[in-house]
Amino acid sequence: MKRRYFILLIAIACNLPLTSCETDWLEREPPSILLDEQVWNDANLITGVLSNFYDRIPAHTSLTTGWTEFAAYDEAMWSGQSNQEGLNNIVSYPFDRWGLWNFELIRDINLSIKKLQEISALEESRKTQFISELRFIRAQIYFEHVKRMGGVPIITEELIYDFSGDPSGLQFPRNKEEEVYDFIATELDAIIPSIGNEGSKTRANRFTALALKSRAMLYAASLAKYNNQMGAPISLPGGEVGIPAARAEGYYNQSLDASLEIINEGGYALYQENPDLGENFYEALVSKNNNSEVIWAQDFLSSADKRHGFTYENIARSVREDNLGSSAIAPSLNLVEDFEYLDGSSGELRIRNADNTDYVYYDEVEDIFADKDARLYGTVVYPGANFKGQEIFMQAGVMVWNGSSYNVVESNGLATVHGDGGVLTAAAGPHRSIQEVSNTGFYLRKYVDNGPQTSTRGIRSEVWWVRFRLGEVYLNAAEAAFELGRTAEALQLVNVVRERAGFGPNSLTELTIQKIRNERRVELAFEDHLVWDYKRWRIAHTQWSGNNNNPNSVVYSLYPYRIVRPGDSRDGKYVFVKAVAPRFRAPRFFQLGNYYSLIGQDLIDANPKLVRNPFH
Amino acid sequence: MKNSILKITVFLAFVYIATGCDYDNFDPPKSLLEGRVVYQGEPLGLRSEGVQLELWQPGYELFQKIPLHVDQDGTFSAALFDGDYKLTLIRGNGPWLDVTDSIDVQVRGGETLDVEVDPYYTLTTPQFTRNGGSLTANFEVNSVNPVRDVEMVAVYVGRTAILDVVRNEGNQEVPAGDLDLSSPVSINIDLPGSLSGRDVYVRVGVKTAGIQELVYSQVQHLQ
Repeated sequence: MKRRYFILLIAIACNLPLTSCETDWLEREPPSILLDEQVWNDANLITGVLSNFYDRIPAHTSLTTGWTEFAAYDEAMWSGQSNQEGLNNIVSYPFDRWGLWNFELIRDINLSIKKLQEISALEESRKTQFISELRFIRAQIYFEHVKRMGGVPIITEELIYDFSGDPSGLQFPRNKEEEVYDFIATELDAIIPSIGNEGSKTRANRFTALALKSRAMLYAASLAKYNNQMGAPISLPGGEVGIPAARAEGYYNQSLDASLEIINEGGYALYQENPDLGENFYEALVSKNNNSEVIWAQDFLSSADKRHGFTYENIARSVREDNLGSSAIAPSLNLVEDFEYLDGSSGELRIRNADNTDYVYYDEVEDIFADKDARLYGTVVYPGANFKGQEIFMQAGVMVWNGSSYNVVESNGLATVHGDGGVLTAAAGPHRSIQEVSNTGFYLRKYVDNGPQTSTRGIRSEVWWVRFRLGEVYLNAAEAAFELGRTAEALQLVNVVRERAGFGPNSLTELTIQKIRNERRVELAFEDHLVWDYKRWRIAHTQWSGNNNNPNSVVYSLYPYRIVRPGDSRDGKYVFVKAVAPRFRAPRFFQLGNYYSLIGQDLIDANPKLVRNPFH
Repeated sequence: MKNSILKITVFLAFVYIATGCDYDNFDPPKSLLEGRVVYQGEPLGLRSEGVQLELWQPGYELFQKIPLHVDQDGTFSAALFDGDYKLTLIRGNGPWLDVTDSIDVQVRGGETLDVEVDPYYTLTTPQFTRNGGSLTANFEVNSVNPVRDVEMVAVYVGRTAILDVVRNEGNQEVPAGDLDLSSPVSINIDLPGSLSGRDVYVRVGVKTAGIQELVYSQVQHLQ
């Protein structure tokens, strides 16, 4: 009896769902998916889509993507945890390094543009603004492709497979290298009137587009010029790689015009808020407080849990707040010596006396860096410099006088004391073999957060990644003007940047291309420029020739020692030793086949119309 | 008790892993393809890790190359499955004219192959004379296909037999403009201090403009 009621109850329960709902129960809108009509008619949701695209813009090195690769050239080496020791032992750069083939992202953008045009009922001006912004991001992505791969297929519409068994309608050959650069220029010109976003530093506006144009056209121009000056220009018969030399002048002019428009009309100014010029240069990149110099940045925000561990990984060892991490990217002596002295003399440090018979003795460990370009302080933490309000004192060991020469004494720990009661090896190193302490005698300052607790894994940092800033635009303009023979203009532009670094007004009176290149190297260190600049000037294979005898291919260190020589005036002073960094193994080796990255065989299998890059 | 069950389980798991994958294994490739990159029957001296040949096995829809790395004495070898392959030379990779035809290679148990190339320049076997702290190399540069210019001629010395433009302890590179290449060349090099009083390895090389790789003489060992 009881059982029968139970069955009845189940029967009713089973029928309930079938009867109790409205007739269109199966027609409900999905609770977890946004439909096209919802997305493309809601400005907030479209902004969400845009922010996804901004976040996916590829980068070779930034604070989050590929940040370890800052230690893969001659600006710096790896001094962090030893599981990344391979960065000090890159026997040769593989041909697929820098490779990029991100047509998924290009397709997503093409699709978004189409949906905005076809589905959206927003007012026309709104739609145009969004489409302009999407086209800017697409141009930026094409620039990322062309600088790595040479010409790539220019696809601006959604491609749909018809399932006919013949995919050849989806297979496009590579466009010429110059066609991609021209595409970037025309796209940017077309969207500049309608892109909006005035004053924004994170979304693209007119001046962001001009800054991209300034950089992209400069790359195209120098490729046209310097590739054709090689013994045998790198090119492909179809022009997928190789720009005719005749186009150089036009590209330089386009770049210069874009740069000058930003300088004259953008309302930006080089950051000059702090009277301490070294700190000022550091703040120029990390300060988010009305920063007048930054044009476009990838922002981070702790309250939105969008933050990164760059500071945890790279802060100087002696001021780290976590129990692990620190010191990963250790700037090289090569870079430090590229910063000139303020009197304009070459930046080599004075380590030995004039006839190379003895060391130069310094009272304080930081004295050797006196009167250097202020950007040195703003870029690296050198021995004796301050960070987070503390002196980062560095000492590798002591040199004990034995009556005729010095015995070098080092320790196998940090913060150790010598027999005379003084410091043996400082808490910040440098040390030859210990991981997570500088191996070169320098720490990174640029982009490393000086806020409290930002070097812990719990808090992390919200320092932004600067993609474009006015300092670069000045140097772009100077380089283009110089290449066009307008030397007086170029001089004036370079001197503006140098004046901010502590050089007097008009510090340069004559200019060479080498001077401009060095200026870019020191101003834009650790901003993802070095490798691309060397590639477009076609000097990467001579700078990084893989040879131990080539000082540019090898990372050097500078170790400070305290003199122990009681009763002598030199007792307690500091001397410096320059040597190849102990953890550095293989000299950097860039081959001709690295100028353009490998197009993978999987891509060629899928699309036989793609031609391989030279030397691959 | 619990402990021994655990031990037995671990043991069984180990036996299972050790025995379980018999059926889907196949033998590794055994057939050896060996060869040399030659000009007129003589192997060319190259840079270790410098030149790569490509082996392709057509007949499959998707395929990847098998890279063949050529040693510094011009030889190469690869262990392969029996089959028909095509060997191609990468354009601009070696110091010779581009070869656009592929070479058919049939591998049946073992195969030797001489890949004939047409270099831009070759070198005669150099005569070295060591005189205390310096060393003189005498040799000739033969223009085989002078469609590209010589960029430089160089002598490399080192303490190991692996020796080239990248790995050396001392070198003397002379730009072509400073030499008359139609007559025998003589280059003098001061040995670096690290090599004084030791046996040294030496070779000379000639670089063609616009081609990364040099043609070298074979490495020689000097007392």
